[in-house]
Amino acid sequence: MLTVFELALRSMRQNVKHYYLYFFALIFSMSLYFVFTSLQHDQAVQNMTHPSVDFSTGFQIAGVMLIVIVGIFTVSANGIFLRRRSREIGLYQLIGLTKGWVARYLMIENILLGLGALFAAIIFGALISRLFVLILLNLLGLEGIVDISFSVPAAFKTLMVYLLIIVITSIQMMLKVYRSTLLNLFQADKRPDLTRPPKAMTSSIFALLGLALIGYGYELSGHINERLFLNSLLVLGSIVAGTYLLFRVTIRWCFYRFRKRKDGHLGLTNSLSMAPLMHHMKANANSLTLITVLSVMAITLISMAYSFYYSVEQETRRDLPYDFMFENEPQEALSFKVELEKEGIDVNHHVAQAVLTMGIILDPNDESRKIEESLLWLPAEQLKQTGADLNVPPDGETILYNAGASLAGDLDEQSKRYPTRIKLEQHGQTVMYTLRTLKERNIMNLNAPGKQMLVSEATMDKIAEQMAGTHGYKKIRFDTFQVPDKEELAIASSLYNAKYVSDERLTYDFYTQYKEVLQTTGLLIFIAAFLGLVFLISTGSILYFKQMTEAEQEKQSFKTLRQLGFDVNMIMKGIIRKQAIVFLLPLSIGMLHSIFAIKAASFMIRSDTTLPASIAMTIYTVIYLVFALFTIGYYRNIVKNAMS
Amino acid sequence: MVQLNVGETILQARNVLKTFGTKGNAHHVLKGIDLRVTRNEFVGIMGPSGSGKTTLLNVLATIDHTTDGTVLIDGADISKLRNTALSAFRRNKLGFIFQDYNLLDTLTVKENILLPISLSKMSKRKAESEFTAIADVLEIKALSHKYPHEISGGQKQRTAAGRALIHQPSIVFADEPTGALDSKSASSLLGVMEKVNQQRGVTVVMVTHDPVASSYCSRVVFLRDGKIYSELYRGDKTRHAFFNEILDVQAVLGGDHVDSF
Repeated sequence: MLTVFELALRSMRQNVKHYYLYFFALIFSMSLYFVFTSLQHDQAVQNMTHPSVDFSTGFQIAGVMLIVIVGIFTVSANGIFLRRRSREIGLYQLIGLTKGWVARYLMIENILLGLGALFAAIIFGALISRLFVLILLNLLGLEGIVDISFSVPAAFKTLMVYLLIIVITSIQMMLKVYRSTLLNLFQADKRPDLTRPPKAMTSSIFALLGLALIGYGYELSGHINERLFLNSLLVLGSIVAGTYLLFRVTIRWCFYRFRKRKDGHLGLTNSLSMAPLMHHMKANANSLTLITVLSVMAITLISMAYSFYYSVEQETRRDLPYDFMFENEPQEALSFKVELEKEGIDVNHHVAQAVLTMGIILDPNDESRKIEESLLWLPAEQLKQTGADLNVPPDGETILYNAGASLAGDLDEQSKRYPTRIKLEQHGQTVMYTLRTLKERNIMNLNAPGKQMLVSEATMDKIAEQMAGTHGYKKIRFDTFQVPDKEELAIASSLYNAKYVSDERLTYDFYTQYKEVLQTTGLLIFIAAFLGLVFLISTGSILYFKQMTEAEQEKQSFKTLRQLGFDVNMIMKGIIRKQAIVFLLPLSIGMLHSIFAIKAASFMIRSDTTLPASIAMTIYTVIYLVFALFTIGYYRNIVKNAMS
Repeated sequence: MVQLNVGETILQARNVLKTFGTKGNAHHVLKGIDLRVTRNEFVGIMGPSGSGKTTLLNVLATIDHTTDGTVLIDGADISKLRNTALSAFRRNKLGFIFQDYNLLDTLTVKENILLPISLSKMSKRKAESEFTAIADVLEIKALSHKYPHEISGGQKQRTAAGRALIHQPSIVFADEPTGALDSKSASSLLGVMEKVNQQRGVTVVMVTHDPVASSYCSRVVFLRDGKIYSELYRGDKTRHAFFNEILDVQAVLGGDHVDSF
């Protein structure tokens, strides 16, 4: 006499080959959760980073996202497993076991599997956390060895996540057992979801609505930063709904038209790709939508994080074109230079004489705008000597340099304001200068006062002459330093920070700023990369499980086809086409969505995101396609052995 | 009673042996079968369970390999064919009807029937007229766009028969085609098979344990213990008379129920 417990153990052993990927994915995401929460509670790494880097919040948010994805993953995977075991569940009831018994049996199996995953995850997590710390330190540009001890709170939190998963999946199991009739259970895989022809009118309306929703989402994503929160929600909602309709109606409608036109002459390849896809269209629509949305999130997350990380140096350079800058502090500048030379550091020192005045930049589109602001007139000829990449504007003309311009709104929109005129008032008289254009970078470090206006030396002298003595007029001497060698720059930076920084004024040096941003973005890429990996593994696994289940349901078909004289390669051609549709459809639609998402989010990055985003997408695609290959391999095995 | 077996040979089996298991524990299922089937014949293979009738069919139908002996179909030695060639042979020369239909659930009746010619070079127009002709004979034209789960067992088996005939095979193998059908559907299917055999000149080899089913045949071969025990030719006899003859042989042979203790 077998007990429920023994039966559950026995069934687990039999099902283990179907579970191993599920097990792997679960262990991977749970151990990642353990590592993230360990890092969140660990002080060692945190103490090494810049205080402005918000370490624990980063990992906390990542942890929440992990819980969400683990939840979605287990629910989907569990749903697939339950569907495939429908017949078994029905059989137990048929031989007279109660629904309660069956539910208990499934739950025991689930709890045991989960417990295994939990312990494996904590042990594995504890083992690899050191490796993770090494990767993290590397990304943050930090050196040194940190020992990370086993974190009890992290283990406890992981246990809570496990319990949450168990509760959710148990509810799912009880629903399945208590809510389905025996007939449903036995015919789970026979009955197609949707074979009735779609009603022409409603279908075409919904098919077009799906496309329209996606189009609307794309359009709106172009000016998402106008009302960030509301627009983000609208874009997300319309894209998700549109994608669902696309899979559920539009694609089905296309398939149906195609099949109808074939009038029975479907051909082997279509019989093995399109027909089974249509057979499970409802379930497929749900999972394909889920997978597409998750892929979009993962691709966007990774692409953005990588773009940030990739462009740190470029971005910092836009703000701080000079490694060090002294403003009207010739003595300090001199002593800094002497100190650097004493250390044997190669340094390029230049002096630029600039003028600060008050003035009004007129807006041709808005005559009423008359805000007086500080304008810093910088002589192009002198800046050119420092090696800056710029052209001397013609006399009487100026160019505005503002690294933060895109943060103030759409650049294309802003550029409509130029060329314009600048009004300077001196003792009742006004002079006008032409403001030619705006460039999205700085020509003097961020902390220099006023808006940075590039003029020829002659124009600057003229302005100085005209404006001398007016309110806000000031002559400024900038001492700029460039240290070409990276390692020497690090030493120079520590010298600068030791002596020349005061709390009274803003001081920035390139290297310190660069390191700080690098640490923030390094943390971001670390979290995004691993989260993305979990997303990727989850979506890939869900597709794999689904296809695995379908492959088994189709086993008899393969056997029949083999008996009818179709060889393995002919059948595989159809299967490969099906996998191409199943994997490439969400991938390509996801890619397209992501491109718009990245474009929408790229207002946060001034550098070009094309290259980093393409690299991230390529890596994502490659790993994703590995899952497709796995699936095809699984199918090939089934087809090959179908006859025996 | 003995009728000269003239006409063109479609299938020729010589001294077919089939052994399962390894040396020490070998189980000899077929112990030297000689069988010749000529064009237009409708051959029934009968015998108690374990007599090797399904094994014989599988071996003749190239689904299983012989341990020894030769099988020639349309002059080709199928035991010499391997993988791809064997598949192509099955696809072009053979038709199959299985006890549990084995239709593809995801395809309509018409799609299922047209499947065997999906890789052939047949033009769509030719395929369409071929389909119409067969569907008319099998009386399933109206079901063309239905899915297997929407039709009855008899209709499913007639669809399977259509699939077995569409590519005009040299020979059709049927493994207990009426096994899962009620008697009315069974006799309707057999009537159709008889009609196809006579009108279209299709050669059929059918395994069955049902004397009613085999009474539709032109010849019945009885197996016992891996060997051919006897043969009956229908000749000009009525189906009823032939049926009684079959029952007589079966009584001597020991029916399924006798064998299964």
